[in-house]
Amino acid sequence: MGVIRAQPARVSDWAAKSVGAAWGAFDLQLTTYAGLLVAIGLVMAYTNSIQGGAATFSRGLMWAAISVVVFIVATVFDYHWLKTLAWPIYGLELGLLVVTLAIGDGIGGSARWVYIGPLTFQFSEIAKILMIIVLASYLASRQGHLDSPFSIFGACLMVGPPLALVMLQPDLGTSLVFAAILAGMLWMSGASLRWLIALAAAIAAMVPIAWTYLLRDYQKLRLTQFLDANPDIQGAGFQLHQAQIAVGSGGFFGKGLTNGTQTQGDLLPVQATDFVFATLGEELGFIGAVVLFVLFILLLWRVLVAGWRSRDAFGTLFAAGVASMVLFQLIVNVGMVLGVMPITGIPLPFVTHGGASLVSMAAGLGILQSINIRQTRAAW
Amino acid sequence: MSAFLDDRPKPVRSLSRFLTFALIVIVAVSGLTARLFYLQIVDGGRLATLATHNRTVLEAIRSPRGLIYDRNGRALVTNVATFVVKLRPSDMTVVQRPVVVNRLAALLGMTEGDINATIDGNPGSTFDLVRIAGDVNEQTARLISEAGSDLPGVQVDVEARRQYTDGPLLSQILGYTGPISGGQLVDLKASGYLPDDLLGKAGVEATYETDLRGTYGSQSVEVDASGQRTQTLQTVSEPKPGDSLTLTIDTKQQQLAQKALTWAMKTVGLKRGVVIVMNPQTGEILALVSLPTYDNNQFARGISNAQYGKLLNNPDKPLLNHAVQEWFPPGSTYKLVTGTGVLADNKITAKTLVQTHGFLTLGSTRFYDWNRKGFGACNIYCGFAHSSDTFFFQMAGKLGIDRLGYWAKQYGFGAKTGIDLPGEVTGIVPTNQWKQDARGVKVFPGETYQAGIGQGYDVVTPIQLINAYAAMANGGTLYQPQIVRDVVGPDGVVVRPFTPKVLRKSVAPASVLRIMRNAARNVVVVRHTYNLVDLPIRVAGKSGTAEFGLKDSKGRLPFHSWFVGFVPKDPRHGSFNATDSQLVVLAFAYDSRTKGNVATEIVKYFMQLHFGIKKDYRLPNLLQRGNFYQSN
Repeated sequence: MGVIRAQPARVSDWAAKSVGAAWGAFDLQLTTYAGLLVAIGLVMAYTNSIQGGAATFSRGLMWAAISVVVFIVATVFDYHWLKTLAWPIYGLELGLLVVTLAIGDGIGGSARWVYIGPLTFQFSEIAKILMIIVLASYLASRQGHLDSPFSIFGACLMVGPPLALVMLQPDLGTSLVFAAILAGMLWMSGASLRWLIALAAAIAAMVPIAWTYLLRDYQKLRLTQFLDANPDIQGAGFQLHQAQIAVGSGGFFGKGLTNGTQTQGDLLPVQATDFVFATLGEELGFIGAVVLFVLFILLLWRVLVAGWRSRDAFGTLFAAGVASMVLFQLIVNVGMVLGVMPITGIPLPFVTHGGASLVSMAAGLGILQSINIRQTRAAW
Repeated sequence: MSAFLDDRPKPVRSLSRFLTFALIVIVAVSGLTARLFYLQIVDGGRLATLATHNRTVLEAIRSPRGLIYDRNGRALVTNVATFVVKLRPSDMTVVQRPVVVNRLAALLGMTEGDINATIDGNPGSTFDLVRIAGDVNEQTARLISEAGSDLPGVQVDVEARRQYTDGPLLSQILGYTGPISGGQLVDLKASGYLPDDLLGKAGVEATYETDLRGTYGSQSVEVDASGQRTQTLQTVSEPKPGDSLTLTIDTKQQQLAQKALTWAMKTVGLKRGVVIVMNPQTGEILALVSLPTYDNNQFARGISNAQYGKLLNNPDKPLLNHAVQEWFPPGSTYKLVTGTGVLADNKITAKTLVQTHGFLTLGSTRFYDWNRKGFGACNIYCGFAHSSDTFFFQMAGKLGIDRLGYWAKQYGFGAKTGIDLPGEVTGIVPTNQWKQDARGVKVFPGETYQAGIGQGYDVVTPIQLINAYAAMANGGTLYQPQIVRDVVGPDGVVVRPFTPKVLRKSVAPASVLRIMRNAARNVVVVRHTYNLVDLPIRVAGKSGTAEFGLKDSKGRLPFHSWFVGFVPKDPRHGSFNATDSQLVVLAFAYDSRTKGNVATEIVKYFMQLHFGIKKDYRLPNLLQRGNFYQSN
């Protein structure tokens, strides 16, 4: 595996070479779009709190506040240090996932959440951002060798252990996010197209094997349920069926906040978390959903712009990782509610009421801003 | 500082790859928007209707449960139509629930606590129906079904419930049906059981559940948003009715057995008793009474928690079938095993005389005969007839514990008889191996003595004991006792006809069993059983007095009384050399402490009733209470 170049090697080196922050380059748009998405999430937490109890909303507010702090800290922090710290960060990531497996709790014998005092925390959400940092460092260090299949192989080797640990929880959805991050970053790194195609072909060939030996029955059922023309609407397909009724009955303008009959009638399980888009579709209608989509497109655009502007490969690759993660989660989460994607427990970025997800997104955007404000010396 | 930036390679930023990525974003979000447009605008009307109005659910059509008849074709259970109130918890909101529960409680005359407990204890999911009350009267049923959307999620079904013709008389045999439990649902869901299902919980209702149940059909039904059924759309599959059962039980004999037992229990003040009547030629059980018992119609109607708690907490365990689900020391009735063993192992012959004593001494312990004078020199006929303890101590000593255990197992002790009633227990046949496993030491010689007279570690179920005597009476074949004769299909054709099931072809040599039959007759002839010999029929048998529990202040132990008797095919003139007996009767009286053997009186009374003997031979003065260790 390639060596992650620790640059600068010593603090004194760095102090001499540090690029000062230029706050003028802070991307206000990016922060605004993210802020609006979080606001939508809070509104949804509020409407769900009518049924689910006031705690849903107050907890949402608390996590939003924590996220603002995390965002500011990440922005102020010079992102160059992340490259230096890549190996410890990788160790931390693996550690969090091992801890989750060891003491984690979850529904039906799974190990997904860790209790920290009164709070539950899903470390795999944090692990996603840490993975992006580590991969960006690694691929940046491979600049000039990206034609080599070993760069691709090395990246796969780095993603392998965390992906497997998440798979063991078992959390199929999050492990797919890891794969999506890897794919997006390899693509943007400029890795050899030929080898990327070869890799994709190899993965496609392995799907039948994974299907037979790696997936549990309930996972297969959830993955195939949305393809079923006549789903078992009393059993495994119930949630899906109810979600589609909820969204469909929203119509163009929606039923109005807190007026959703499906979601408020408690027909829809996990409406506050993974199925939050169903509540949004029912209560805010087509208009509300399109506004949400537009916000996501604008946000992704600003993320990609940050990547494009970055003078160093780390910045470009980090932006690519964040964009891949947000896009993949958006497609899979919304697609699931709309019945075109399998049911996996993937949160909708910024919107889903869930602490770890929001905090890790805040950290990601903060690092992006840190990248933005530390490029101004370049000839842009 | 700029030098630092410049000496690094320029990042590879491929515009084409950025644009491809952006394109994927646009295409994906457009795809989602298109799907959203389809769902909300194109298909929105239909889905909105679904959300506010109707949905289709698949409902089971229950199959009629098979009926149960006695051996003469008398219907012991019928299905009667009743109204059942059910509730689908997911159809009411958290806010609505207290209101719904409150109204239901008022209408059904139940407590809110009971209804809430039923809903929360529901074995299925919140989308499954929960059975709230069965056997609801028509007026209440109408009120509830007319309440409609005022009681969201509540529905009234017409369902068949079991009506047991004779109630408590046959409860221990028939059992009852009741709501499925969470654990049972997990096991049976794959077999088509529903969360609000009923199934056999005791008696043959439980053992023959699969035959009686039949196969459920299904139909699709449209329900509105509040869960009320609006119309039946179509029948998907037709239900298949369950098979019916014809029992070996003769209701008439059951009544006589119950009458005899009830008389003795009332006269003495007994708390528990068992009478079993059996045909030794086939293993058919003609009557099986275990008292105290319960009324299975209480369960069929839906027993309240209070009523059920009362049955559960009754110290005499009315829910337990004492004939098969409980074991007791057999006392002297077990001398059949010891006698058979010494003869079969050629330790003695029928002519061998053995000196009996007031007591035997083993080490420093005295083992007393019940008769402190002893009986002098005795052969097997004399020893068995007088039930001499010192005779059988010596016999047990000759056999040793392991051979004694071997012959006990030959007679079927220590193993389930396999009777088709649930919850049968095995009892214990002590052997060196058993004691090594259970207590870590071998059997002491004194314990072998005790085992030889049916005390100590020996414990048996009444059904095992009668089955052993049946094997002696029929010449040595150990049958599996059976309660159900035939399984009959809905069309009246016998699906599984009765066949006697042989557990063991020969428990002991025929010559030995002939000696034991005549010895059993001698028990009656020497008036060990008082006037039983005066009856105009020939009865042979063995009594037993089995000590248990703790000694009282005078050092006396309470005891159970046993008697197992049988008559030849020709009850007036038949010989006990023959193996043609058609009737074995066992009586067991728990904690009897009577002057005489109450079990013998019970069997005597049953024989009088069974054979229509006009003269009454009962001796009530023997039934006086008093802890006298009078006879074995």
